[in-house]
Amino acid sequence: MSLVCTNITFAYNGTRVLHQVSLDVPKGSFCALLGRNGSGKTTLLHCLCGILHPESGEIMVDNNPVHLVNGTARAKCISLVPQESDQIFPFTVLDLVLMGRNPHLSRFAMPGAEDEKSAWQALELLGAAHLAKRRVNQISGGERQLATVARALAQQAPVMLLDEPTNHLDFHNQYHLLYQIRKLCRDQNLTVLASMHNPNAVAAAADRVVLLEAGHAAAQGDAESVLTQKQLSRLYGMPLVESRLTGGQKHFMPVMEFRR
Amino acid sequence: MSDQKTLWILGAILVLLFFLSLFTGQMHISFADAAGWIRDWIAQDSLAPSPKSLVFFDVRLPRSLTAVLGGTGLAVSGAVYQGLFRNPLVSPDILGVSAGCAFGAALGLILPGSPFGIVRALSFAFGLSAVGLAAGIARAVAVRPVLVLILAGLVVTSMFNALLMVLKYTADPYSQLPAIVFWVMGSMHRCSWADVRLIAPVILMGLTLVHLLRFKLNILSLGEVQATSLGLNPRRYRIFFISISSLMVAVIVSACGQIGWIGLVIPHMARTLSGPDHRVMIPVTALMGGAFLLAADLAARSLTAAELPVSILTAMAGGPLFAYLLYQNRARGWI
Repeated sequence: MSLVCTNITFAYNGTRVLHQVSLDVPKGSFCALLGRNGSGKTTLLHCLCGILHPESGEIMVDNNPVHLVNGTARAKCISLVPQESDQIFPFTVLDLVLMGRNPHLSRFAMPGAEDEKSAWQALELLGAAHLAKRRVNQISGGERQLATVARALAQQAPVMLLDEPTNHLDFHNQYHLLYQIRKLCRDQNLTVLASMHNPNAVAAAADRVVLLEAGHAAAQGDAESVLTQKQLSRLYGMPLVESRLTGGQKHFMPVMEFRR
Repeated sequence: MSDQKTLWILGAILVLLFFLSLFTGQMHISFADAAGWIRDWIAQDSLAPSPKSLVFFDVRLPRSLTAVLGGTGLAVSGAVYQGLFRNPLVSPDILGVSAGCAFGAALGLILPGSPFGIVRALSFAFGLSAVGLAAGIARAVAVRPVLVLILAGLVVTSMFNALLMVLKYTADPYSQLPAIVFWVMGSMHRCSWADVRLIAPVILMGLTLVHLLRFKLNILSLGEVQATSLGLNPRRYRIFFISISSLMVAVIVSACGQIGWIGLVIPHMARTLSGPDHRVMIPVTALMGGAFLLAADLAARSLTAAELPVSILTAMAGGPLFAYLLYQNRARGWI
């Protein structure tokens, strides 16, 4: 299912953070949201999944207005992998993933055999079934992030939002996670919008890119046309050089003389 | 040990302690005596009640039932608060309910001619008012609701503690002051069938609702952002769980006085035994809480010739037990 949002405007205590942001993520595509710190990426994602309530704008999932439905109905359409998923209590990974089934449960219901099956399937899809019985405080940051993605998958929402999913992850885990998410887009037709910081990781994984600049969608389109030296230099306010790797993928480096 | 087995064993311990508490005390009552009275009652033989049967039916039975209900209610409220506030060091009186109850009771005790029912009613009303006040402050501040609610609870607790000190200072030192001090200490010796009738519906309703919604507590313990993204309305559930837990604590404190540590220690013991999943942890906490207060009350009236206030024993046992649990769980991630 596609995700379309139109003219999203949001303000914190009178300070406008998002200015009529519109974007379009086609079904089964991976769209990256790039922008400097404080540009409104997390705010936009929180507006899309109902944590914050925009002043104006529309959010449509496959032409259904999700901004008009209640939290449970919205959670069936849009899942979120948050920036920090600190768990105070060390649940097992399976228990954590099972919580993703909440939108499909009535108020007093407990997850049943079908829900357990969905949770196991989500873990298996990500190659993380071996983590099921381990506690979240006993696994690595990368594994914990995989568990949170599995929880979002168990939610069975056609649209997944990820807020800086590769934060705190080592080089291997960053690319492993992006590879898994990319695979979900391709195999499960999952529509993904992810806020990210590394343009090279975006160039490797994303189909589409939205550049967010001080709450405005400064540019958007397919990754090849939006990820340019000129656009990114302006976005980050620093000179960059653009090159291409042997596979044809774009690569960006800041122009800085680190070693002098 | 499987979760089912744990629950059965804890249930058996609770039942065992309940019967032990019925047959332990200054007056010796045997199983044969009790069986005879029950047989007479079933046969509807209207014999004059003996002192022993009065002690059994009108003193020990309501007292033991109150201990089970009170321990269960306090422990489950503690577990709910710890999950809700995402803080394993929170106890059910964090929002000022106990301080409000203590002030209300002290006010009732110094007002001339207040019957004991009024003391309890004032205690209950001020307990709930304290929570309402904390919620009102948090609502007025309107940022970081969970943290501000805890801070507002500290403010309200300190306010009511100060007001309690004013009442103690102005109370008659020969009659009113000891009454306030003994009431605040908490004891089960005042408990009667009237208390059971008052406590039982509130506690049973609260326990049933918390039990039915225990999976939602797992989700709420992840925090506002994750709970909302999983389709839950954290604010609505927070109001609901705080209301139901405060109601349970207020009704218990207004009947038995302040009984500390149960709401803090028992959820930790349950978590150590069964893990943090509230689906298992809530019933384990309920059974453990009931058994703990029953055992403490049993000890309070058996250890010495004169009865000790039960809160002294819960604190004496709870403190070291909590220290042990902190040490035991140091690597488990919930401290």
